[in-house]
Amino acid sequence: MQQPPSSPKPEAPTVTYVVKAGPASAPRTMEVHAAEGDLKPWDLDSKLRVVKGRHPRLDGPLKVTGRAKYTFDVSMPGMLWGKMVRASVPAAEIVKIDTSKAERLPGVKAVWTTEARAVRFAGQDVAAVAAISPEVAEDAARLVEVTYDERPYVTDLQKAMEEGAPTVYNADQVPGSKNAPVKGNVVGPQVPRRGGVRGDVAKGFAEADVTVEATYYVPTHTHSPLETHGVIAKWEGDQLTVWASTQGISTVREGMAEFLGIDRKNVTVITDHMGGGFGSKLAASAEGSNFAGVACKLAQKAGAPVKLMLARDEEHLCTGNAPAALMTVKLGAKKDGTLTAIHHRSFGTAGIAGGAGTGGPSGNLYANTPNCLVEEHDVFTNAGPSAPLRAPGHPQGAFALESAMDELADKLGMDPLDLRRKNESSPVRLIEYEAGAKAIGWERRNKKAGDTAGPRKRGIGMASGNWYVIARGSGVGAEVKVHRDGSVEVFQGSQDIGTGFKTAMAMVVAEELGLTPHDVTVHVGDTRWPQGVGSGGSNTTNSVAPAVRLAAHDARTRLFAIAAPLLGAKPEDLDAAGGKVFVAATPSKSMAFRAAAAKMPNEVVSAVAERKKQYETFRQDLAGAQFAEVEVDTETGNIRVLKVVSANDCGFPINTLTTESQIIGAMIQGVSWALFENRVLDRTVGTMVNPNLEAYKILGAADMFEAVPIVVEVANAGNNTSAAGIGEPPIVPTLAAIANAVYNATGARIHTLPLTPDKVLAHLVRRG
Amino acid sequence: MAKPPADDGPAFPGVSRRTFLKTAGVGAAATSLIGAAATDGAARILGPDPVPLALKVNGAARTVTVEPRVTLLRALRNHLDLTGAKEVCDRGACGGCTVMLDGKPIASCLMLAADAVGHEITTVEGLGSPEKLSAVQAAFVEADALQCGFCTPGFVVASTALLASNPSPTLEQVKEGLSGNLCRCGTYPRVFEAVMKAAKQKAPAARAAGRKA
Repeated sequence: MQQPPSSPKPEAPTVTYVVKAGPASAPRTMEVHAAEGDLKPWDLDSKLRVVKGRHPRLDGPLKVTGRAKYTFDVSMPGMLWGKMVRASVPAAEIVKIDTSKAERLPGVKAVWTTEARAVRFAGQDVAAVAAISPEVAEDAARLVEVTYDERPYVTDLQKAMEEGAPTVYNADQVPGSKNAPVKGNVVGPQVPRRGGVRGDVAKGFAEADVTVEATYYVPTHTHSPLETHGVIAKWEGDQLTVWASTQGISTVREGMAEFLGIDRKNVTVITDHMGGGFGSKLAASAEGSNFAGVACKLAQKAGAPVKLMLARDEEHLCTGNAPAALMTVKLGAKKDGTLTAIHHRSFGTAGIAGGAGTGGPSGNLYANTPNCLVEEHDVFTNAGPSAPLRAPGHPQGAFALESAMDELADKLGMDPLDLRRKNESSPVRLIEYEAGAKAIGWERRNKKAGDTAGPRKRGIGMASGNWYVIARGSGVGAEVKVHRDGSVEVFQGSQDIGTGFKTAMAMVVAEELGLTPHDVTVHVGDTRWPQGVGSGGSNTTNSVAPAVRLAAHDARTRLFAIAAPLLGAKPEDLDAAGGKVFVAATPSKSMAFRAAAAKMPNEVVSAVAERKKQYETFRQDLAGAQFAEVEVDTETGNIRVLKVVSANDCGFPINTLTTESQIIGAMIQGVSWALFENRVLDRTVGTMVNPNLEAYKILGAADMFEAVPIVVEVANAGNNTSAAGIGEPPIVPTLAAIANAVYNATGARIHTLPLTPDKVLAHLVRRG
Repeated sequence: MAKPPADDGPAFPGVSRRTFLKTAGVGAAATSLIGAAATDGAARILGPDPVPLALKVNGAARTVTVEPRVTLLRALRNHLDLTGAKEVCDRGACGGCTVMLDGKPIASCLMLAADAVGHEITTVEGLGSPEKLSAVQAAFVEADALQCGFCTPGFVVASTALLASNPSPTLEQVKEGLSGNLCRCGTYPRVFEAVMKAAKQKAPAARAAGRKA
């Protein structure tokens, strides 16, 4: 891929390191510059004892015994229960909100009503109550009477694009349109932030020997984390504490301070354990609801802590979703498969919000293609706003691009994998192609689609995906404390959203101090600790691990200064491993880590560090390729996914065990999206038909396939740990890989997800 | 008209969700301890005010005073601070609230607390502690059969119940046995691995115990 330019060289002093970077099979020696005081990145020559290993997560025992306290589990004396009242219609002016009956209900302690009058989606915040039990709060919410002056609405993407469709916003109210043209509900074309315009596509198509063009549709997917959004808000004087189910405790702190008009220093946000977010929990409250602010106000009014957890239906309606998208992809290529042009034109709906672009893969994946044009359009509909979902826009965009690549391969008479190899620009993805093809048995695929005997047909398909190395360069802190008894703690103000971040940080500290991860207690999820990051963009580990390593290294340096005279050596000659501090050249000269700590002059060594900026990296993109095998019952149309292989890179995986778990999880969410998931809005009343977990179907145990994660280690040298992210990239290729496998099995090329049996049968009938 | 509870008779008052729904709102008060007290089995009316219920949870006698409409799940979570079982879908679709009732896995969001009187309730907290994990719990940790962990208590209880009824399941039987539990992080394959592993560890012990018997 075309490497985005490295960050400009700094004014501040830097240190220069020569590192052996890249994948082990294709190393590259490179120079990296980092802000003064940073450490040499771990690279291919580093002898790592803990990092890259496989360690069960440290909070596992709490989670498997039900002792882990999630926000949903927090309770306190005198706590009240909050419940929101949501708009029951998709478009209206609110005429009246009558809370008198609710207020009269015994046990109701506070009521809130919205000041907004315009309703733009069914599920919008209207009112809220706080009461002595969840049951009474639910009763009270039902007693709130709202009078609406209903307006015309549109919930369907294509209907919203038609001339004369009801408009979600008046022309002067359209959010975030900036310089893009606005016509009715449609904003665009817009060019995405990364990639998107190269050369001249008209020229590229004129030069092509073969072109393909098709239109693809992906429906709205809701994040559906099992723990719904929610908070407990507690005031003590002017001090507010919020326990939140969030991916960004800092964001919640900032959002609550702003909403309530108080100082950030008066707000503490705590997230001990978090029951899933997938991008939907990055906002202060939620993308389509200000419930957390409302809970704080209810707690203020009632003079008691208020717990407000959303119900399952609310989670579908107002906390975000991945936009539905209608995408037209046109590809041009020479006879040998060399791409000459990529044109991606998409119309996506993020409900009442913008940001429904899907052009990331088309704009960045085949970066050698000289001519590329990505045109994105946001289409407003009367539906809840979207939220980032695991590589926002990329699973949808890759479904279109990578389906089109297979259609092109078919037209060229080329092996789909060869077509991708031909146009590949990432040396990492080339390695992943080989590993994935071997693991799936690529040679077993049908040479001609659908060319198998019998009603149950098997097929193999693949697709590529792309993502980016995203990290906070500076402004992230960490504190490592070594106590005189040898016990070690680390404090960090990010949150573990289920990725195993906490355990990864313990591994980084253990690596520096020569301990095991179990020797390190990790404190995260509290805004009182050193500054953290919101967990989005697959950025948590690679933003935070370098700061944690710096703090741990500082503690190590101070302990070595104490141990050196006792071992008759210089501090720089010491090393630490296996719970011991020893002379590197003569390991028999050693002392226990605890014995060294016992000699500390003070009770605690507190090492505090901030992340340093670094100016180069091996690559700024993350690759990824997936291979899928499916079996399609051509009599019922039912698709069974048999096996998915996901080959991914994430720099150095800190903890290979939990890295694999994230890869497996992403491919499962992707298969679930490809086969089942579909938010259905009723066109006749404008409300959601399936706001639950039985009609909004997500993949279950019985649907499970063999999931094979392959981690390609890359010394990316982009920070002192060489870590990058993994949460998002493995969901990017999945939708296309499944659709391509279904095509290989049956010859049915389905352009519309989900791949339900009715669509399979319809395509087979059409094919004859 | 329902009778007030008598002081003798069977321990289980026989209040089902159906009889409760039939009679709810009639207005008779039943304030004596349900379960410790008794009934002759005739239809009885509870509530609408809170009523004391005697529950047997994880081997211990516990009393909760709740409105009769309160589910077993909410009684455990909000009145006994046993928060391992989760309310996820609140309609029996996801298995997040799974507990054992007399050794059988049930969705505790679909049962009224009053209906659990007289039964042995086992929650995930009763299967082991962080210091002393059960074989299933230890296998979950080792295989990394959890990510965010919100569904995990339900899976641990369902897996434990599965192995109690089928100590050596095939992979397909494990999938079927856990098909009532949803996970959004995608831990299924590692859950299967953990259950198979726990089964293998338990099987020799079970065989040895069988020989002794």
